[in-house]
Amino acid sequence: MAGQSDPHISIFSAEEVEFMAEDELIEIVPNLRMDPLNFICGDFGPFLPQIATQVPFWLAVALKKRGKCAIRPPQWMSVENLTRVLERERESQGAFQVLPFHYVEISRLLFDHARDDIPDMYMVRSLIEDIRDVRIHKVETSLEKFSGTSAVKIPNLSAMEVNIIRPFVGRALQAFYKHDNPEKIPDVDRASSAQTRAANNEPRMDSGIGGLKVAMSLPDDQWYQWFLTVFSSFFALQRPLRR
Amino acid sequence: MANYYNIDDILAEEEFVPVVFHKAANGVIIDPSSETNSVEQGAKVELPLWLAQELYLRQAISISVPACFSQRTRLEIQADAACVDLKSRSQYFYEFGCKIAPLVGDKTIEILLLSAFKIRYKEILTKAYTAVFTTTSKFLTLLTKEETNLYEAAQASMAAFKKWRMGGPRLQRASVLGRKRKPLD
Repeated sequence: MAGQSDPHISIFSAEEVEFMAEDELIEIVPNLRMDPLNFICGDFGPFLPQIATQVPFWLAVALKKRGKCAIRPPQWMSVENLTRVLERERESQGAFQVLPFHYVEISRLLFDHARDDIPDMYMVRSLIEDIRDVRIHKVETSLEKFSGTSAVKIPNLSAMEVNIIRPFVGRALQAFYKHDNPEKIPDVDRASSAQTRAANNEPRMDSGIGGLKVAMSLPDDQWYQWFLTVFSSFFALQRPLRR
Repeated sequence: MANYYNIDDILAEEEFVPVVFHKAANGVIIDPSSETNSVEQGAKVELPLWLAQELYLRQAISISVPACFSQRTRLEIQADAACVDLKSRSQYFYEFGCKIAPLVGDKTIEILLLSAFKIRYKEILTKAYTAVFTTTSKFLTLLTKEETNLYEAAQASMAAFKKWRMGGPRLQRASVLGRKRKPLD
């Protein structure tokens, strides 16, 4: 019981988020002929020269490093699309534009490995950096506005942005929850109250922190477990220590 | 119970609270400057919170509002919560307030804590992500332990992101392999 609640919220490092981004599918144009590759995650191929195929990103990078393919940049990475997204980001104050979940990591990986495959590379790169700056500022301003609630809803946030604000927002929400309603929690058996409280809160937080929950990449039961361990400690605080 | 081994929780209970004894106690050295080893009834002493809680359960004392929640502090917080130096009052201001509130029976403490925290949280937020390290050193001395945790978490994640953005090798050589070892003779 002593080690039940972990005060440190588990965080992903930036490299880990990048690792998870490499599972996305991307189109390549191979220049060799190869039989289908059978992996645990799926079968890819057969590879024929000049025929575009969809492969996961890590496979694309591996083939590119060996000089066996050319990576085709994804649809959303054209200059027109990015300029349009940037304009809309600057106009709308509260909402975020729809961008792929891992756009930061994918763009960085492409710049590192597939520089010659992207037309207007410098333009694209500066546009993406601008978009990212605008979005991060928007996140900060929207975090200022919420105060005193237990759930935050920010749709259309990308994985890297969520990773940046995750420890801060997690701890801040915990602190708000602790100070906000210490009196409303009934002093009953802690396990049952934690269960019912979590069950009541679960649908609300589920829709509330949609982006956060998805970005933490926890399956549903693990999320539930994390929720219980984090918040059960605050129910426990209400009982006097009996020796 | 889940916080039994939490260091911050233990340290938060170390804070002193003023109490008034209802019963006389013998054989205890609570006040180092007194000559006798006892405390008589009606004496006002400062005890740490963990001791005061236990004696309160046995109805031996009554706890009064500690100094860090005095009227002066409340006025300061109402004036401008962001600049109040909470660290000098008590490093565990918020946890301490949460624990004290049921013992003293003062409902206004939670409201005070909540409002103070809301305002300071905004300040932390604006400074944590954008400012350079050296410029906010004066502000950092005003924060309690809890707020410092928040601030450092935000700074660490931002710094890690920037470092990742710079690039660099994905695989790093372990430091153990760095040094050349001389062959054993």
